[in-house]
Amino acid sequence: MTENNKYWRGIEDQSNPELSEKLAQNEFSNEISQADFLGNDELAESSTSRRDFLKFMGFSTAAATLAACEAPIVESIPYVVKPDSLTPGIANYYASSFYDGYDFASVLVKTREGRPIKIEPNNDAIFNGATNARVQASVLSLYDGARMHSPMMDGAATSWKEAITKAQSLLTENSVLLTRTVISPALKSAIAKLGLRHVSVDAVSQSNRADVYEALTGVRGLPTVELAKARLVFAVGADFLGDWGGENLNSAYAAARKPGSDMLRHIQAESGLSLSGANADVRIKAKVSEYESVLAHVYNKVANAVGVATVSAPALREDIKLSVEGVANELIAAGSGSLVLNGLNSATAEKLAAKTNELLASEAFNTSRLDFTASGSDTDFAALLEDIKSGDVTSVVTLDTNVLHFSSAMASLAEKVSLVSIADRLDETASKAAVALPMSHYLEAWTDAIPVDGVYAVGQPTISPLFDSKSAVEIVNGLAGGSENAIDLIKASASTTGNAKAWNALLHDGFATTDKMVEMLYEVAPSVDLSDVKVSAPLKGLEFYTYTKAGMGAGSNANNPWTYELPDPVTRLSWDNYVVMSAADAVAYGVEVKAQSNGSMNGNTINITVDGTTLENVPVWIQPGQTQGSIGLAVGFGRTEAGKVGNNVGVNANSLLAPAVSYAEATVVATEVEHGFASVQLAHTMMGRKIVNEINLPTFLSGNAKEWNEKPTFESYKGPLTSFEANLWDDQDHETSHMWNMSIDLNSCTGCGACVVACSLENNVPVVGKDEVRRHRDMHWLRIDRYYSSDMTKEVAEEEGVGAIEKYAKMEVPSESPSVVFQPVMCQHCNHAPCETVCPVGATVHSREGLNHMAYNRCIGTRYCANNCPYKVRRFNWFNYQVNDKFTDVNPSQDDYGRMVLNPDVTVRARGVIEKCSLCIQRIQLGKLEAKKDGRQLTDGEFTTACAQACGSGAIVFGDVNNPKSEVSHLKQEERAYHLLEEVGTQPSIFYQTKVRNRA
Amino acid sequence: MHYESPVRNPLILGDKSYSDITNDIAKPVESKAPRSWWIAFSIAFVMFLWGVGCILYTIGTGIGVWGLNKTIDWAWDITNFVWWVGIGHAGTLISAVLLLFRQKWRMAINRSAEAMTIFSVIQAGLFPLIHMGRIWMAYWVMPIPNQYGTLWVNFNSPLLWDVFAISTYLTVSTVFWYVGLIPDFAMIRDRAINPIQKHIYKLLSFGWGGKAKHWQRFEEVSLVLAGLATPLVLSVHTIVSMDFATSVIPGWHTTIFPPYFVAGAIFSGFAMVQTLLLIVRKIFKMEDYINIEHIEMMNIVIMVTGSIVGVAYITELFIAWYSGVEYEQYAFLNRATGPYWWAYWAMMSCNVFSPQFMWSKKLRTNLVFTFIISIVVNIGMWFERFVIIVTSLHRDYLPSSWSMFSPTFVDIGIFVGTIGFFFVLFLLYARTFPVIAQAELKTILKSSGENFKKHHDEHGAH
Repeated sequence: MTENNKYWRGIEDQSNPELSEKLAQNEFSNEISQADFLGNDELAESSTSRRDFLKFMGFSTAAATLAACEAPIVESIPYVVKPDSLTPGIANYYASSFYDGYDFASVLVKTREGRPIKIEPNNDAIFNGATNARVQASVLSLYDGARMHSPMMDGAATSWKEAITKAQSLLTENSVLLTRTVISPALKSAIAKLGLRHVSVDAVSQSNRADVYEALTGVRGLPTVELAKARLVFAVGADFLGDWGGENLNSAYAAARKPGSDMLRHIQAESGLSLSGANADVRIKAKVSEYESVLAHVYNKVANAVGVATVSAPALREDIKLSVEGVANELIAAGSGSLVLNGLNSATAEKLAAKTNELLASEAFNTSRLDFTASGSDTDFAALLEDIKSGDVTSVVTLDTNVLHFSSAMASLAEKVSLVSIADRLDETASKAAVALPMSHYLEAWTDAIPVDGVYAVGQPTISPLFDSKSAVEIVNGLAGGSENAIDLIKASASTTGNAKAWNALLHDGFATTDKMVEMLYEVAPSVDLSDVKVSAPLKGLEFYTYTKAGMGAGSNANNPWTYELPDPVTRLSWDNYVVMSAADAVAYGVEVKAQSNGSMNGNTINITVDGTTLENVPVWIQPGQTQGSIGLAVGFGRTEAGKVGNNVGVNANSLLAPAVSYAEATVVATEVEHGFASVQLAHTMMGRKIVNEINLPTFLSGNAKEWNEKPTFESYKGPLTSFEANLWDDQDHETSHMWNMSIDLNSCTGCGACVVACSLENNVPVVGKDEVRRHRDMHWLRIDRYYSSDMTKEVAEEEGVGAIEKYAKMEVPSESPSVVFQPVMCQHCNHAPCETVCPVGATVHSREGLNHMAYNRCIGTRYCANNCPYKVRRFNWFNYQVNDKFTDVNPSQDDYGRMVLNPDVTVRARGVIEKCSLCIQRIQLGKLEAKKDGRQLTDGEFTTACAQACGSGAIVFGDVNNPKSEVSHLKQEERAYHLLEEVGTQPSIFYQTKVRNRA
Repeated sequence: MHYESPVRNPLILGDKSYSDITNDIAKPVESKAPRSWWIAFSIAFVMFLWGVGCILYTIGTGIGVWGLNKTIDWAWDITNFVWWVGIGHAGTLISAVLLLFRQKWRMAINRSAEAMTIFSVIQAGLFPLIHMGRIWMAYWVMPIPNQYGTLWVNFNSPLLWDVFAISTYLTVSTVFWYVGLIPDFAMIRDRAINPIQKHIYKLLSFGWGGKAKHWQRFEEVSLVLAGLATPLVLSVHTIVSMDFATSVIPGWHTTIFPPYFVAGAIFSGFAMVQTLLLIVRKIFKMEDYINIEHIEMMNIVIMVTGSIVGVAYITELFIAWYSGVEYEQYAFLNRATGPYWWAYWAMMSCNVFSPQFMWSKKLRTNLVFTFIISIVVNIGMWFERFVIIVTSLHRDYLPSSWSMFSPTFVDIGIFVGTIGFFFVLFLLYARTFPVIAQAELKTILKSSGENFKKHHDEHGAH
């Protein structure tokens, strides 16, 4: 039985229950009468009347409302009905294809809220799934406000209907369609429908080489290469890691160059120091005009060995003769494992190379699988020029080719023809055209391509056209009187190309295998005929040649700031075009490059005359490894109608040398004009320090890693300790959670710069322009250091008894024939980070996962961390790059269109704070969250950093070393692994793999 | 009465009475400013305004208007900071340490030396502020409780120690200086005719009445503050040196830095006192109080500290070689023979070689020579900090990041501006404050005054 206990709320409850009951009933006991409340005498005396009060009240309410209305209006429209495929904050990926007449790549396009913001490699692709620096940068060209906003007629905007009508009225039977190489079957059929004479010409010509294979196989294209089957590659002027063919060979090269007894050996003969030359084991300095004779001598030696007829060839220079003979002997010894590549746009050179491969039965040289990405014809173009001159051709339609820029012959004839231009902007060609038709960027267009025999690829739009533009195929079809949409044209093309995949699967993958377009499978490889070969004699005087740069390529990204900001991998100069010249020639012509008091470089300029044409005030860069008597200038620069970024950067090399011509004799006169370079690197040698650990293959094979990869030790009472054992700190627990590490294989890194651009895209790294780069204020979170070897080493100094002062002074001077190494350096995420201890406000702190975090919000900008960083990877925001006038022309984030490329997952940093590599923390967090949502462990390779993803050669591997199955944890155990500046005791999370050269 | 040996040279020259001292020292405050003062003040004020303009430009636009780059993130800013802090050392040393050591010669110079200290620490304090990328967040270096939960300053960072060291030093120096000023302000108050002036000095002198109790408290406070200030003389520059010594940069990472920096600071501080006093004694006709005896004493201190600094330089070189560390060896070789060799040799000749002339009595008692050397030493000490900061940073571990530094007009403008600011403050001080601690000086008149000494000699002691 329960008792009904009474609980009191207070002592009053007990002592006076009636009163407390009354109080409880009457909460507001002391009622004040209304009269009392309002009867305050003072109120009546107040000067503010009731009316005034209402006035004030009304005014304040109105003012507050008005003030609230003045808040900045953000122009965004929410979804009324959200598309199923699109969740704000979640990225979508679409497979697509990039082709600009120079590079082809199968890519994945990352879009956020309907905006493409990043180009990523399509790792499943069977041809060119990797992205180089130019392909990475291409996404920004989409948001280029300098693109044509609508069709233009006589300089005024017009409608598509009128423009097409006008263009059609200009076309006659004698009109010519002038394009860059066309690899799109859909575009080809549209062109066929148009029925005009079709001439294709490339800004970087391989025409004479393609002629050889056309004669040989009946199909115009270039041979492909299977480096996996080669043991020795001898490349003559062929920068096959850069611009040689349409095929991206980086990954195959890296795989073939894995240190071991079967490592690929690479010998390069070339004039200027290219990426391939920089990576070669042996480099022979030959002038461009000597390429043919070098190939001929190698051929003759091989022919002698095999017992076939030789060709007559001019004698080689004495200083390279022996090395060329040595190469020939090595090739003979390597037999079918050898591969000879020619980079000269000359039928003779190509035939000699092909024939040498044939005689050696090279397994790597594949002439039955041709690459079509550079198959323009200089002969057709020359004929066209003749016809224009004679008046046979009076109107020309140009399609995605800036012919008036790269062909001065065409430019001088431009007045004689009426032009219709299909282009993305009013460039040098389209601005001269009577009708200019805006062509969509590849990220807003439907395209397809057969880049190489047997591969069919499609490109799909990832955004509606930003301007009133159309896909190229739709424009050409429209000119031919058709009215189909681009998608229908591509669909039709896909269905007739015989690819194996259904339409949706094709779009999902971006590519498909297809039947060979033309049957070229020969029982026996067709034999190259050398009977008509005439090897030309090397030039006696100074030769001038053109080449391409890693950032610029053939020039389709000419208004893209990332293209310019990316330093040239070899010269380390950005925002510029200049002549590369050997030191000996520089002395002869009286030119110099000198460091200024602020660390920037200034040099002399020269006037170059080729064939009566003079290019004035061309800056000269003195390039170690440049062949004496040979000067080179990159193409694609010197634009006047590209847009605010690209206009007037550098000079146009093609004004001296047409793309069809590889080299010419030049005369050079030094001028009084001084030129300022934007060089990101002031010192070029390693000063005898172990920064890039480099050994030769025999040393590696000896297996004595303790000797060639010696770890620094410190003497202690416990005996010698490594910097990981000699520890004064209370370490964090790095074992229970993830521990992110990164391995960078210096043997695989070719220095191409794709990772640098990818990092800039992913992390919204500001573009700062030439003047700031010149002041050594580039903002790149990831840089690729390039070092030359020096003739002076510690060993030489000891041997010759050179004193310390002289030794170090001489060590600063790069060798004239240097060995070149590349080293990507980003924040090393030190577990004993010097930056973390010195920040007064704790803005940079360490995570348990081995990352060095940077809290931008907390940073007050003392820059002590940057000073105390032994790797100098911290970057300070010197200005407000998003608003400062100095950066209006270069920084995409100051442009309403350009801003759209910013990655919404990464903060845009304000002025006055330090920034640096975060190891793509946004990707790590996303990956961890996805795994957490799924309730599973993270798997290795599920996500990676932007640099590792962009690296075509797989040099950068990111992962969790606490996962014993991860690739990076295996790499950490490699005997080649070492930490940069380990002796400083920083215990970095990034480690490097020793570079091995295949030479004795 | 304190007795002083006749072999010691008199510290107050001429036939001075107590009232003469009062008159002489109150004269600059009570009379109209001479033309030369106005000229000097105008120049200093223009320099100051120029500096203010440059600072505002920096704050408005960004640190990018300076000549710094990704490799050299400190240059003139921190050079100037350390230079000014160093100059600010002599004041406290003279007033505190020499007080404890009962060095009577300090009395004529300690007031101005302390004023110089405070004014130069103000200049020094500007640089850590304006060198910040986000000066509007500068208060974050203070351990202020905040709403961010566990967010706190980083006590590992020498920059934070700097904040405490400099602010403590400025506070203690100012209090010490002010306490010494009280009886002198009272003297001016008592003589003032203008009522406004009288009122101001009345406030400033805290109701000083010259009672025995007042004097007793005055002496005690002086002694206590001297005791407090003495360790600060050592701590401030020790901590400033740790900005460098605790880093990993070759050329910075050196355990010798604390004593070496303190010696260097005293060296440069004395040189600056020398420069200023040689001007003050001339303009305000105080040759009798700040006489050759004082100048010689200070020259001796300059010579000794200069030699200590020289030993430190050579020790650094020796240790770099002896350590066998490649980066250290290169850093010091590069200092002496690299692109900034001129800065290094400017430093060596100004700081190590030039004070050695002071071994000669003839030279160290020569006013013109002393003046030149005092300027030379301060140039040399500026170069010392430039050498330490810029030449260590410009070529550190990875040659790929090596760079050079060149100042912009803003860098130069701010430095010039602080010199202007310093002189604006000093010139205002010279017109409104008693530049010599007359109350203290009067205590030694009868022991170290020339006439009294003579009197003693002639008539014997007592």
